[in-house]
Amino acid sequence: MGDIVDSMLDLMRRLPPTRVEENVQALIDICPDYADDLLGSVDQPLQLRTDRATGRDYLACDYNRDGESYRSPWSNEYEPPLDDGTTPSPKLRKLEITANEAFDTYREMYFEGGVSSVYLWDLDDGGFAGVILLKKVMNPTNNDEPAGTWDSIHVFEASERGRQAHYKLTSTIMLQLVTRQNSDESGDGSLSAQAKEKLGSWKRNGEVTLGGSMTRQIEQDWPLQDSSSHVSNTGRMVEDMEIKMRNLLQEVYFNKTRDIVYDLRSVDDLEKARRQRELQKELVGFIKR
Amino acid sequence: MDPAERIQAASSFLLQAPPGEINDVLNDVRAVISDDDSLQDGVLPALREYNLTQFTTVDVPGVEHQTIVSEIARISSEEEGEERYLDPRSKTSFRFDHLSLEATDPQPTESDEESEPLREALEKATQLYLSAHYHDGVAAVFSHAGENRFTIQVVANKYNPNNYWSGRWRSQYVVNFNENKVEGFILVHVHYYEQGNVQLTTSHKLFLTLPQTAVTSSPQQTASKILAQIESEEGKYQVSLNDAYQEMGEKTFKGLRRALPMTRQKLDWDKVLGYKLGAELSASKGGGFGSAI
Repeated sequence: MGDIVDSMLDLMRRLPPTRVEENVQALIDICPDYADDLLGSVDQPLQLRTDRATGRDYLACDYNRDGESYRSPWSNEYEPPLDDGTTPSPKLRKLEITANEAFDTYREMYFEGGVSSVYLWDLDDGGFAGVILLKKVMNPTNNDEPAGTWDSIHVFEASERGRQAHYKLTSTIMLQLVTRQNSDESGDGSLSAQAKEKLGSWKRNGEVTLGGSMTRQIEQDWPLQDSSSHVSNTGRMVEDMEIKMRNLLQEVYFNKTRDIVYDLRSVDDLEKARRQRELQKELVGFIKR
Repeated sequence: MDPAERIQAASSFLLQAPPGEINDVLNDVRAVISDDDSLQDGVLPALREYNLTQFTTVDVPGVEHQTIVSEIARISSEEEGEERYLDPRSKTSFRFDHLSLEATDPQPTESDEESEPLREALEKATQLYLSAHYHDGVAAVFSHAGENRFTIQVVANKYNPNNYWSGRWRSQYVVNFNENKVEGFILVHVHYYEQGNVQLTTSHKLFLTLPQTAVTSSPQQTASKILAQIESEEGKYQVSLNDAYQEMGEKTFKGLRRALPMTRQKLDWDKVLGYKLGAELSASKGGGFGSAI
């Protein structure tokens, strides 16, 4: 049984990140029995919703879903309304309100826009768990500007141990960047008609898509003064994790994938380089003699 | 889901397989569908489509080189008796197994006498170009007999599962000597999947009006001039990817999330909470109702 879920997760690790929603839906249609396993373990782009009571935007995902309804972190209400929707205990809801306000400040400081939402839930063993969500979308003002989307999903479990708390944090960041490239050398006024005929002229158009997700985990202990310490503790953990992962994303997206392209094709003439190396070898051999 | 829909879903997964991972995807799909009998025949059309569109490389029986299996390389279909593909370089046709990726039953073929000199010249120039710019490239040059058209296909693959990455570069150029035009595309697909799943996909279309001087009476000269155009254009494209990266990195990536806040310091979380508490207190004071319950 576990094998099927493992195969589904392996499949999702290979298929294009740009089509994750469509592929998760197809897998659920094939194996409806594993829908919960799959929805609980595959991160999907966060959906933007608006809280009717407060007019504020919030983020919807599997963690604030009950049936077909989603709970807003601002009003604690489900939309579409649910009479018996799951909500955190009053004590935890208080912490959830504080956390939403704190991470809203965090969002403004780092994202300068976008939307954040924090959801907490009680665990059977007396501890609690939560998810901190952040999303920002950049739409291009014209066709040649790149577009981008950032989704952060930080899931944590907290357990109190006296004046200490232990946290286990799993962070996933989904990042997608798309840019179009167009150029038309025949439209370039710098060449005369004769020159164009002599040189030939190229027209090109294309698109570059860099998309995907990366996941990292960390466990840490932090001191606990009162219950609001949970917010500053997870805040510091999420902040450090996002700084680390932002560097990692930059490395993988912009350096690693380009290196692989250069492993396929070389801009420089490889034959020339080969000849040069041979010539050098010969010279070294000559000098040694 | 009925069996036909399951096969359709399985086929869609296969067609999305990243470079070099078709067998991994097939294994996952087998486990998920868990009905090998209907799967085996059902997904063959998808495997075939994958092989043809991805420019699958194959060892040609009896010769020392590889060629490309693609729609253009196909010279006969099942309806005509059997599906066969052509290796124009060795002038050999063969059957191809879309599951095992093996070529069998090689047979010599006759080439079109009129177009063969130019095709061969293009092939030589392409092979030279390939060894100058591709690390593990395979190319094939096909002639469309009687149409004065030729198709150049190039593919380069690198699979490195131990380091969780793979990549594929495909390009195709249709050289049309009736209109002195070249129409082509470049497709790059890179997969990086160490603790994640990051994919680069690019698609690029190219249209070239051939310079008058490119078409000469000498096939060798014509071919080397056309390949020089392709070499320069592919080089430009590869460099232009850097510009696209630069733009996405400078504009979009930085615009999505700052490395640090404007203050150039990490947040003071005690203050973040304190400010909020302070704001709450003054708000409730201002309201004059004490603590809101």
